[in-house]
Amino acid sequence: MLMKRIIPFLLFIVVALAGCEKFEFSPNQKFHQNTPENLNAINIARLQSSAGDDTVRFIVSGDPQRAYNQAEDFVAAINKLKGIDFVVVDGDLSDFGLLQEMEWVHEIYGKLVVPYVAVIGNHDLQASGEDIFRRMYGPLNYSFIYGGIKFVCHNTNSREYNFNHAVPDITWLTNEFKAQPGVTAFVGLAHVPPTDPDFDHDLESAYLHAINYSGSTLGSVYAHIDKGTTWYPDDGESPPVYTTNAIGNRECMLIEITHGILHTRTISF
Amino acid sequence: MEYFTPVRSVFKAGILLILLAFPFTVKSQFLKTVAPDAVIAQYAGSIGFGSIGGTYDLWKGKGTADLLYGFVPKSKGGSLHIATAKFSYRPFRIRIGETATIYPANPGAFFSYHFGKEFNFSWSSEQYPKGYYWWSPAFRPHLSLSNEIRFHSGKTPASHRIREVSVYNEFNTNDLYLVSWAKNRESISVFDAVKMGFGVRVYF
Repeated sequence: MLMKRIIPFLLFIVVALAGCEKFEFSPNQKFHQNTPENLNAINIARLQSSAGDDTVRFIVSGDPQRAYNQAEDFVAAINKLKGIDFVVVDGDLSDFGLLQEMEWVHEIYGKLVVPYVAVIGNHDLQASGEDIFRRMYGPLNYSFIYGGIKFVCHNTNSREYNFNHAVPDITWLTNEFKAQPGVTAFVGLAHVPPTDPDFDHDLESAYLHAINYSGSTLGSVYAHIDKGTTWYPDDGESPPVYTTNAIGNRECMLIEITHGILHTRTISF
Repeated sequence: MEYFTPVRSVFKAGILLILLAFPFTVKSQFLKTVAPDAVIAQYAGSIGFGSIGGTYDLWKGKGTADLLYGFVPKSKGGSLHIATAKFSYRPFRIRIGETATIYPANPGAFFSYHFGKEFNFSWSSEQYPKGYYWWSPAFRPHLSLSNEIRFHSGKTPASHRIREVSVYNEFNTNDLYLVSWAKNRESISVFDAVKMGFGVRVYF
């Protein structure tokens, strides 16, 4: 019988290769067997268990979407720097919200000597992207404390929610930026800067108020616009708003916080 | 899940129609014409964890056209519902006596469509400025290369329902993987952009 000869052969192939990532179920699938999970939490735990010094020094990189060659050079350059505590991917890991893209980025950023955390970008919210990000990295709004500084990573991709006034989440932010024991200063990290047309304009002033709720915010850092900029809202009364250049443009931002003072420097690679 | 119900029902009805439409069970000439030459079942290959459908032989077996419905369950990274139209050409043919024919390299193309609100076909002009994003999350063109072995049943009795069976192995890539790889050939392997699946065709 024909089928009797073929079925064992097919079963053999299935069993032998079922775990192989080559067998893609869809470019939009949310995970496969070997997809890493909770990378932000794992990396934050790694960061918090490392011995720091009196300076918090970290890198903010933006928009590695479809710039894997440049991302590899970035990782090689950062690995040569001394005294870096951690690296931030400030959104748009992916261009199309695909699992394969986020895995490519993790493959490259995973080679960093120091831990890295990822922030959600507008491109990461396409197709299955949001679910992929949540599973691989974690919540879209989260925070962690390192060296007495609280880093508040949040979702500012208002256009992806058709400006429904729920993103950014002002209530959550206000709560996160409240003064608390063990925290001397705050830094905001998000993808779309508050001055951009993709940010919910109606929330701009409430947002700038929320992210400096305790009055001890040193600044906030964004990406998205593919260039490095600095803006001092309210004539310098409010903490500065920085953007980092895109990985594709071979630039990132080094931030140093010493004794409550924040310095930025552009790094080319 | 309510969202998928109508889509699901249409597909279920379609598959039922294909199953009911085997030439030996139908009298009508019309159904004979639209009935596929084979039923097809595929594992992976970017169009579902599993997918099923019908195959039409083209140009006396020198090519095939397949219509498939694929599903990815939640436990396998879904849930996703996918419709696919495939075309492939079989330029080479190796006969192994009376037993089988091998088609060693069959280039092709297929088009997949993902159902669901997160997979928009185009972009809302209300939400986005013109040209903000350029690709279609729902509609995905793929290039493929397959190999296939078709087992002939030889002198089986006329009452024998399964005439022939073929198994194939198919590699594919899509537009988004290709553009990702094109500018990053030093950092990502082309093998990462190529995915695989295999399937079986049963000719009645």
